[in-house]
Amino acid sequence: MKKLHFTYEMQIEYSTEVSTCNFTIKCIPVDTLRQKIEDIKITLQPDVGYQWGKDGFNNTQIWGANFKPHTFFRYEIDGFATTELSNCEEDIDENLAMVFAHPHGLNVAGKAIRDFYIEKIKDINACTFDKATQIMKLLSQSFEYRTGSTQIDTYAEEAFEQGCGVCQDYAHILISLLHLAGIPARYVTGFIIGEGVSHAWVEFLDDNKWYGIDPANNKLVNDEYIKIGHGRDARDCMINRGIMHGGGLHTQSVNVRVKDTEKGL
Amino acid sequence: MKHLELLEHTDTVNELLARYGVKFGIYKNNVFKEQLFPFDAIPRIIEAEEYAYLERGLKQRVVALNAFLKDIYSKKQIVKDGVIPEDFIFASSGYMAECEGATPPKGIYSHISGIDLVKGKDDIWYILEDNLRVPSGASYPMIARELCRRASPETFKDLKIEDNRDYAKLLRRTFDNVNVGGHTVILTPGRYNAAYFEHSYLAEQTGAHLVNGSELVVKDDKLYFIAADGKLERVGAVYRRISDEYLDPMNFNPESLIGIPHIYDVFKKGNVALLNAPGNGVADDKGIYYFVPKMIKYYLGEEPILSNAPTYLPFYEDDMKYVLENFDNLVLKDVAEAGGYGVVFGNKMTKEQKESFVTLLKSEPRRFIAQEVIDFQDLDILEDGAPIPRKADLRAFVLTADEPLVWKSGLTRFSRNPDSFIVNSSQGGGFKDTWVLSR
Repeated sequence: MKKLHFTYEMQIEYSTEVSTCNFTIKCIPVDTLRQKIEDIKITLQPDVGYQWGKDGFNNTQIWGANFKPHTFFRYEIDGFATTELSNCEEDIDENLAMVFAHPHGLNVAGKAIRDFYIEKIKDINACTFDKATQIMKLLSQSFEYRTGSTQIDTYAEEAFEQGCGVCQDYAHILISLLHLAGIPARYVTGFIIGEGVSHAWVEFLDDNKWYGIDPANNKLVNDEYIKIGHGRDARDCMINRGIMHGGGLHTQSVNVRVKDTEKGL
Repeated sequence: MKHLELLEHTDTVNELLARYGVKFGIYKNNVFKEQLFPFDAIPRIIEAEEYAYLERGLKQRVVALNAFLKDIYSKKQIVKDGVIPEDFIFASSGYMAECEGATPPKGIYSHISGIDLVKGKDDIWYILEDNLRVPSGASYPMIARELCRRASPETFKDLKIEDNRDYAKLLRRTFDNVNVGGHTVILTPGRYNAAYFEHSYLAEQTGAHLVNGSELVVKDDKLYFIAADGKLERVGAVYRRISDEYLDPMNFNPESLIGIPHIYDVFKKGNVALLNAPGNGVADDKGIYYFVPKMIKYYLGEEPILSNAPTYLPFYEDDMKYVLENFDNLVLKDVAEAGGYGVVFGNKMTKEQKESFVTLLKSEPRRFIAQEVIDFQDLDILEDGAPIPRKADLRAFVLTADEPLVWKSGLTRFSRNPDSFIVNSSQGGGFKDTWVLSR
């Protein structure tokens, strides 16, 4: 268990004026069995106000619009998370569990993933938990982390064929393999301790409980992880969604900081 | 035949229809073409008693389909109880996870349902498909009736026909039932849409504003119409004639330029009604069709009044076996296609085509359904002044307002090609008025 202080900052600058902008931000960690969130502060600049909402998977989001001409948009989400209060998340919405048992969007398996499954995974005889972690291990041995080698809409199959990708691709391929093994699995976005950008990992269902595993780091999720939300694939979990009129060239930067409050890092 | 007199006015009516802009836009080889939707003056006539039977069956079906949609986007009891396999829901392109947990006003998903039927040579009506997204077509028999009455008033003097011009009233009642406060608007993608005539005609007839996406805006958590003077006026219900994926670029296809950003968020808050609700595609695909009679039993505890065409799902082993053994007698349909596309007849394939189709079928059994070819009754159409028989279907419209309402008319579409069973207007067919006798 740790108490973590997290800050997510997003800033976007436009080369010319934007007349209207609509935004949806899905970057607000909520309480689960695993984590408790306190003192959430949301700051928007320009301060145009926002609405609260939930997406189809019950993730929290804020949304709104800026109808006044502007040349930048900045926001910050800041708060504290007490993590690893439990090693799993209860399946609070059993109705959605079956949604996560089926291939969808970016995690649909193709021939390469299927062949890998048949060759390396099909005959594994183990309980769900062990099977899932073994699949993760096998994947991390056959796939390489390489920044910039994939796009935000790269399919699991494409990434697997080329043999490298980033955390998002690891997550999609692992979900794809878990589905082939008959294990419901979902895509998770969140933060990990340190400084950088947001992270993605996987949760799988075992006996009505969701366990987090991080295929990009080949390890179980622990008290250094703060979860934002989940969906079937990365498209379901986009942190920033926006549409603007005008704006010319955009320069976007994201900065995530997660510190252990005890260590004063 | 008292309506014979009317037939002499066929050309006049068609000319008037053309003048009113009753056209059907289609895309062929990526080129947009507007073509007239040919009207045939010989009406389809349905006796009062027969239609009363259809009405009971149609209401029952739509009530069950609405119950199904409500269940799928919440508890999914019908799947948990094993009545419908998960594959047919969650791997279906019509299922939209975005719609989970959103309850439309009064729990109604399909306000306007277009149910396609045919009457077999055995005198039995069969349901061909359900259209619960944005079914079109009601305006054509409406305006045709209006123009026929004008061209040949004598024809209608003594006949006891249900007046189908009340569709606008039924529609208005459907809008008002779910409107959460404010204007009702009809949202059109614009004049290049296949059914633009219908959008404008229904707006005129119901008194709803006809708008495009740029005339609506979400502010705070409500939807507004931008009036000519720039003032914002609250909208309480949107009869949207654009498909789910283009409705809201913030929630669905981000590329959409014809949608309204955040309209779905406003809907989820209960601050606007959308007719029909997004997500209905899960209930009207060809794969789920097979399960509709089971839904009726499951949700209503009743026997289905109207039958499906005998359908097989190659997904089930027994059905696959049957399909392979009886291939030549069956029509095969790709569940993801619509508008008469992706439909093939077993007996019309060459040996090679058959072989490659069977390979595809075996590798993707979930993708297809197979149906017995129903030998449906021909209706006469006029060609060069003489009646000739052609295949025809009937699209019935069922509105879900404070209670289910069946419009006492419908769109009868016919194939102009004597060898074709496909009557879709996008495939060049024509239409007839549907007369329901009032006694």
